Amino acid sequence: MAAPRSNREFIEACVKSGDAVRIKQEVDWENEAGAIVRRACELAAPAPFMEKIKDYPGFSYFGAPLSTYRRMAISLGMDPASPLPEIGKEYLKRTNGEVIPPVVVDRKDAPCKENILKGKDVDLCRLPVPLVHDGDGGRYVGTWHAVVTKHPVRGDVNWGMYRQMMFDSRTMSGAVFPFSDLGKALNDYYLPRGESCPFATAIGLSPLAAMAACAPSPIPEPELVGMLAGEPARLVKCETNDLEVPADAEIILEGEICPDYKVEEGPFGEYTGYRTSPRDFRVTFRVNCITYRNNATMTISNMGVPQDEGQLLRSFSLGLELEKLLKSQGIPVTGVYMHPRSTHHMMIVGVKPTYSGVAQQIGQLAFGSKLGPWFHMVMVVDDQTDIYNWDEVYHAFCTRCHPANGIHIYRNAPGTPLYPFATPHERKHSIGSKVVFDCLWPTDWDKINDVPTLVSFKHVYPKDIQDKVLANWTAYGYPPVK
Amino acid sequence: MNQWEVFVNDIKELAEDADLELTIRTLNAGIHKYTYKRVRCQVSSDLKKHADQLQVRLGRGQLSASRFSIKVLDEVQRLPEKYR
Repeated sequence: MAAPRSNREFIEACVKSGDAVRIKQEVDWENEAGAIVRRACELAAPAPFMEKIKDYPGFSYFGAPLSTYRRMAISLGMDPASPLPEIGKEYLKRTNGEVIPPVVVDRKDAPCKENILKGKDVDLCRLPVPLVHDGDGGRYVGTWHAVVTKHPVRGDVNWGMYRQMMFDSRTMSGAVFPFSDLGKALNDYYLPRGESCPFATAIGLSPLAAMAACAPSPIPEPELVGMLAGEPARLVKCETNDLEVPADAEIILEGEICPDYKVEEGPFGEYTGYRTSPRDFRVTFRVNCITYRNNATMTISNMGVPQDEGQLLRSFSLGLELEKLLKSQGIPVTGVYMHPRSTHHMMIVGVKPTYSGVAQQIGQLAFGSKLGPWFHMVMVVDDQTDIYNWDEVYHAFCTRCHPANGIHIYRNAPGTPLYPFATPHERKHSIGSKVVFDCLWPTDWDKINDVPTLVSFKHVYPKDIQDKVLANWTAYGYPPVK
Repeated sequence: MNQWEVFVNDIKELAEDADLELTIRTLNAGIHKYTYKRVRCQVSSDLKKHADQLQVRLGRGQLSASRFSIKVLDEVQRLPEKYR
């Protein structure tokens, strides 16, 4: 099965496999669409493809595009039933392979150019921008998208998923954190010069383009999409600036970021499951051109309590990128995983505990890396603990993490204003704190006499007894174990 | 009559019968619902004092029970000339 090349191919594949439902009745852009997506996330239900939007004939919504591992497998062209470790292995294999650069296509071959609005015709309200949660600070244009920019000196391209609220017909405001690639470019280059920064927002991306925009990979996103898909990403030049955007995207907004002009943004229901970050003056995007496909589909991610695609995909990619980083440093890791239910706050690292201090070394590398601001807990378990099995991880944490010696705290680290536990001062200034939970038996303990023996079916019984019990399980009168 | 909404951290920010500068969003039905304007205005807890109505949300989106009438005096242009 090939990876879907566009949002449309992805919807079709999901409908076919039962991982999306077509909703034919009219849906209101004000709260109703958001509520449908939210409920689908909380039930891990099929993604809603809403074909009729109130006030917006010809447009549709696709919600919760990647909020299950089944849909993530489909996006990679894999069997939807693929187990998570297999999906992770496939991601690592593809992203460690040959770089596949994008191709730039002619505008006549780019569906995103089917409709073009410029000048006085530019009005964001012509798009079905949803009010995602009741009480949000505005209608959010960008919830599952890519903001495309290019570094003014180095020339490297950045696709980032920076949320964007519609402020007025031509203005959006959004949260761009100072430690992000775009935040650094705005503060280091554009703001001191008082120059505007060209941007383009692409909405309704292929699922792998969205995955690339969301992943904290050091590989430039257009190349990353190609590596994930196994073929070059198709890009097209913008109408009003030199940026290149995915040619098959549903909607493109072009414009400029005004670094010295900020308007209010938020509050917004966030991936942590709360509205945490305060309404504040944030980065302002002025739109001067809109292009879109005929019958365009706007994608909606509804962030809130687990689990939505922000949590699932960010957990997935953060974990795998950290695994790559730790392996590159020679750490004997056996796997890294974030449970999406941690709202990508807790990294679980499996390691062969061959030397003392390895848990702290892992924590320092993780928190000191570019990935670090996005999570604040690292839990290190041994290679006998299944990192994907929360019951095993929780048991290891509760029984092996010494309350005085096994918890290591780091203060005044980078954080985000979205941390629900952070003080108002910490939120305002993106200050975080970090913690490592060392759930390894100390290496200086005697392995025979000091290290406790794990008492479980698979650890304390001889293999022949285990096999006998498993073979006779139904004969004993138990129902089969799935 | 127009319907407007404002976000404040504290209801005391809405001093009555004084000239205020607020960022308000329209609640009028239609495709422009929830778009913002920066305005100079006066508000009153007497709902009949001004023709337009103002409802209030607090810092994390909670709808306040307080209601006001509002008179928009004029629109304030904050956008720097170079971006217009």
